[in-house]
Amino acid sequence: MRAVVCLKQVVDPLTPATELALDRAAKKMKPAAAGPPVINGYDEQALEAALRLRESLGQLEIVALSLGERFHLDVMKRSLAVGADQLVLVQDPSLDTPDSHRVATALAAAIRKIGAVDLVLCGRQASDWDNAIVPLLLAELLGMPCLTLARRVSVQGARVEIDRVLPDGSQTMWSELPAVVTVTSELGALRMPTARARLATARIQPKLLTLADLGVAAAEPPQVEVRDLSIPVAGRECRFVEAADGAAAGRRLAEILMEAGVVRPEGAR
Amino acid sequence: MAGILIHSAVEQGELRAEFWELVTVARQLAPSVGGGLRVALAGSQLGDALEQARRAGAAEVRVLEHAQLADPWPEGHFEALAALCGRLDPEVVLVPRTPLGAEVAARLAIRRGASLVHDVTHVQKGADGITATRPVFGGAVSATVQARRGPWVIVPRPHAFAAAAPADGEASPVVREAFAPATPPRTFCGARTRQGSSGAKDIEKARVLVSGGAGLGGPEPFRLLGEVAELLGGAVAASRVAVDAGWVPTSLQVGLTGRSVAPDLYLAVGISGATHHLAGCSSAQVIAVVNSDPAAPFFRLANYGVVGDWKEVIPAFRDALKEKLATSRVA
Ligand SMILES: Cc1cc2nc3c(=O)[nH]c(=O)nc-3n(C[C@H](O)[C@H](O)[C@H](O)COP(=O)(O)OP(=O)(O)OC[C@H]3O[C@@H](n4cnc5c(N)ncnc54)[C@H](O)[C@@H]3O)c2cc1C
Ligand SMILES: Nc1ncnc2c1ncn2[C@@H]1O[C@H](COP(=O)(O)O)[C@@H](O)[C@H]1O
Repeated sequence: MRAVVCLKQVVDPLTPATELALDRAAKKMKPAAAGPPVINGYDEQALEAALRLRESLGQLEIVALSLGERFHLDVMKRSLAVGADQLVLVQDPSLDTPDSHRVATALAAAIRKIGAVDLVLCGRQASDWDNAIVPLLLAELLGMPCLTLARRVSVQGARVEIDRVLPDGSQTMWSELPAVVTVTSELGALRMPTARARLATARIQPKLLTLADLGVAAAEPPQVEVRDLSIPVAGRECRFVEAADGAAAGRRLAEILMEAGVVRPEGAR
Repeated sequence: MAGILIHSAVEQGELRAEFWELVTVARQLAPSVGGGLRVALAGSQLGDALEQARRAGAAEVRVLEHAQLADPWPEGHFEALAALCGRLDPEVVLVPRTPLGAEVAARLAIRRGASLVHDVTHVQKGADGITATRPVFGGAVSATVQARRGPWVIVPRPHAFAAAAPADGEASPVVREAFAPATPPRTFCGARTRQGSSGAKDIEKARVLVSGGAGLGGPEPFRLLGEVAELLGGAVAASRVAVDAGWVPTSLQVGLTGRSVAPDLYLAVGISGATHHLAGCSSAQVIAVVNSDPAAPFFRLANYGVVGDWKEVIPAFRDALKEKLATSRVA
């Protein structure tokens, strides 16, 4: 069996807003400003799902696939260090885009080129644009069913089964393979690579592909264009509670909230 | 291609609060879209929700009521809506940003070749199509996006628009639709488990939320937050770190990928205030923050702040509340 895990390289979502910088002309985040990028968190969890599947199935070839403008190899190669068999990178300036159609078209072409893929694992959404649409488009382009928001993924024979996270619980869902599955953070974090594995994979080179290799045509104008980006300055005036110690501060907070009418006896509202 | 269609799934006969926010968006867009407003409700038992939705001032309410729509099954709800859109050909479809709604919207946009405008906080239609504002990068950046070509599928961000008041006049007429998917299903639903266990009140409805994060260090301190919440007639909520660690169920998560809440008071304990978390609670009337780190970003969004260790602050806060609420009740 062969699984492809789609990994997106993104600006570290935990970068403090004060350190973000925009290239307003290009309508992009300035990459250098925010320090090294990371693999989108949910995509790491999708990779973890693949690794767990390999453990339960005994055998699974895992191909990590990423599209982007420019890659930090040491960041992306973490996928190899934790156990992916292959890393395929498609590099093109037009691929740093919030245009989901463009990305999904190129991903679909790459997945066809990899060939004989039984399962495509994606993150539930990319933390930069939070679109949550590429996997659905990809499934459509590949003619595969799509199951989303998996906190658990298992394969029995020709069928993939997930626990789908719902706002108030979860639900089992399944479909035939091949299929696209998206993974949510409840699945758990990606395991750490061993030092040995890191060293062993240091010399492995990713497979680099161009859009020409994939036969993907030049970009058409996106359906949804970005006109402007800005960093909003939202804020409130914080009144800090001054007190001798923590307990006194806690009591004072109760007083302040009652005086301000924010806290009222139950039933009196 | 004309008109606006609001689509909302109904669970347990309850109309979602976002419905009335979608009505606000529809009323804002109506003059520039034209063709009137319709509503589509989907579920297995619409119950009261149908009567409420008939008060939205729509030309009609289309009812997609079918046993197979009992589950939040994205493919089924999408197929039902897609078939309806094939008949009505609306120019704008409005869908609430729930996990089900967001996926139905994306699938619909793909099937219809429509432009999907997701998570918008402001939207208008002009000669150049739809222009909208939406937070990206977890809320740290605001983007203005433009979709020239219709039809459009628009997913408003919860609480970004005020809830509309029901319209005066006659209730809208009801038209029942058959559930007729274009293609046989490819995804299937099995057993569903609900996490109502810990007596968790629906955090979207609570007027007071006492919310805990990684700073609590484990599941036990959430009992203390529960005591405070009970005193205030509120509920307990949490950050994603607390949910992913398994301390509390997913249903309590506030934030970008959790619930969006707008209580009178949001008391955040041991939560740093990442933009992804703030995205779900910035509409609270009053925010109070207890955090041992004076540099925690949450303080920038707080009305009241306590720099301190929750282990000292919260028990004293609880006791003071208990005392004061008791005396004010006697008085
Ligand atoms: C795409 C995406 C979506 C996300 N969606 C969500 C979401 O929906 N909801 C969400 O919450 N997060 C979400 N996150 C995660 C988010 O970025 C943060 O990682 C998370 O909110 C941090 O949770 P926290 O504040 O509990 O933990 P931390 O950031 O670790 O903060 C813990 C805080 O506790 C304080 N503290 C420690 N000890 C004490 C003490 N004794 N007393 C008082 N304070 C103490 C610390 O000073 C610190 O500020 C998302 C992330 C991404 C990338
Ligand atoms: N450039 C990319 N390279 C690889 N995978 C991607 C890329 N963009 C999106 N994806 C996958 O699609 C998921 C959802 O992305 P999005 O629809 O952009 O929110 C991500 O979590 C990834 O798994």
